[in-house]
Amino acid sequence: MLLATGLPAVARADNGSSQLDASLLLYGEQGRAKVYEPTVRVTRLFPDGQSLSGQLGLDVITGATPSGALPSGVPPPVVPGGGDNVQTMTAASGGGGGGSSPPDSGAIPVTRFHDLRAALDLDWQKPFGLITPALGGHFSRERDYQSIGGNAKLSLSILHHLTTLTAGAGFNRDDVFPSGGTRLPLSDSTIIIGHAWNPKRVNSGMVGFSQILSRRWMVGVNGSLSVEDGYLTEPYKVVSLMDPSSGLTVGQITENRPTRRNRRDTLTSSVYHLTRDILYLSHRYYWDDWGVTSNTVDLKYRHELGETELGRDAYLQPHLRYYTQTPADFFTFGLVQGAPVPAVLSSDERLGPLRTATLGATLGFTAFGTPGEWSIRAEYIRQFGKGHPGNVVGVQRDFDLFPPVNIGSLVLAYSIPL
Amino acid sequence: MSPRARRMWSAALFLLVLASSAGCATVRPWDRDLLAEKKMSFTPNPTIQAVDEHIYFSKEGSTGSQEVGGGGCGCN
Repeated sequence: MLLATGLPAVARADNGSSQLDASLLLYGEQGRAKVYEPTVRVTRLFPDGQSLSGQLGLDVITGATPSGALPSGVPPPVVPGGGDNVQTMTAASGGGGGGSSPPDSGAIPVTRFHDLRAALDLDWQKPFGLITPALGGHFSRERDYQSIGGNAKLSLSILHHLTTLTAGAGFNRDDVFPSGGTRLPLSDSTIIIGHAWNPKRVNSGMVGFSQILSRRWMVGVNGSLSVEDGYLTEPYKVVSLMDPSSGLTVGQITENRPTRRNRRDTLTSSVYHLTRDILYLSHRYYWDDWGVTSNTVDLKYRHELGETELGRDAYLQPHLRYYTQTPADFFTFGLVQGAPVPAVLSSDERLGPLRTATLGATLGFTAFGTPGEWSIRAEYIRQFGKGHPGNVVGVQRDFDLFPPVNIGSLVLAYSIPL
Repeated sequence: MSPRARRMWSAALFLLVLASSAGCATVRPWDRDLLAEKKMSFTPNPTIQAVDEHIYFSKEGSTGSQEVGGGGCGCN
């Protein structure tokens, strides 16, 4: 699911108008994944208020990601005469190449990978008096994943346009085709059970309500649900087996997740206009039948700078976001060798007990002599979890199994009427 | 539905009713100057918002936004 794009506001003229929105994301995790993501969107606004837009995006992803395995607990052997002190590991999507375990016996093993994703999105909407229908379509393809989806939304403005009711639905017909074939779940990752595409279907629905409370204040409440069916397992992740006494890793098995997931969330938002500045505040509560629950608090403060050396209509918008998540029921850092293997289990840290703190800011301005608007957004993200679980043994108790991850992202965006 | 989920839905419903009640105090057309500004939106930067949602969708176990649909990826 559900990488929503949203339609940008387009300046309207009596004979219609067009707008170009371009952006570039530079994203990097310390010692892990790097992403470069350019996107281009063209929007055409017609005199009757109808709008049609198309967006093309690319994701260039390289680097490393945790494999799900525990630290080996064994210092790597010293190679006589020097040389690279590494071990190769199975590569993730993108095929070819190998990974390496770090020279630290307590470091989290990672797998190197590279991938390229292309995505195309089309959106249309048209107001019919108080009712505005919208339609959208999506197609994306990467080395081991394809997504085809569509969505429809209907908005109704009532009570002198002070209240807006929205309802929407979407579907995705995705397919997963892991590099090297699909691994047999809960077994040695070298056992391949096939090379066919594994379907994954997502159906979602949303209802929303927004209300203008005063000249300066509007609030909104959204509720959504989605049902996922099919291949939901992460094809390259593994779960380590620990020696019952020493805690040293003695093997690993592929993970296995349920074939169905019901997700729910409520999103409450507030936008308040001060004398010149604007305060944006939102809270999202999420829960699903995998046992994951989360709370997200997001705060932005748009401070108007007016005319500066950079240009006119400048603003600075600090951003704070805090996220907390409880683990999935079947999440585990590792299994003790000889213990019963559950039918479903995963060591993917994204399903574990984690927190994310974000601190950033956006600088926006319209450069002198040009009609376009620039936005520069820089953010620092720190993700951390509870890395000392009670179900590990031996040497694993000495390691932080969820060390903090430092992430930086920079977005350059430019919007210009055509 | 779990007790906690019921509490969240009840809180959202309460806020909805409260908002409806407050909205009965009409905002006249000539008082909507601020509301007409482009930045008075739940997603004032939709391009950056979409980028953010992709990042957090890839790094966390939750989903959910102002919109519905969109596309999937192998990133989660």
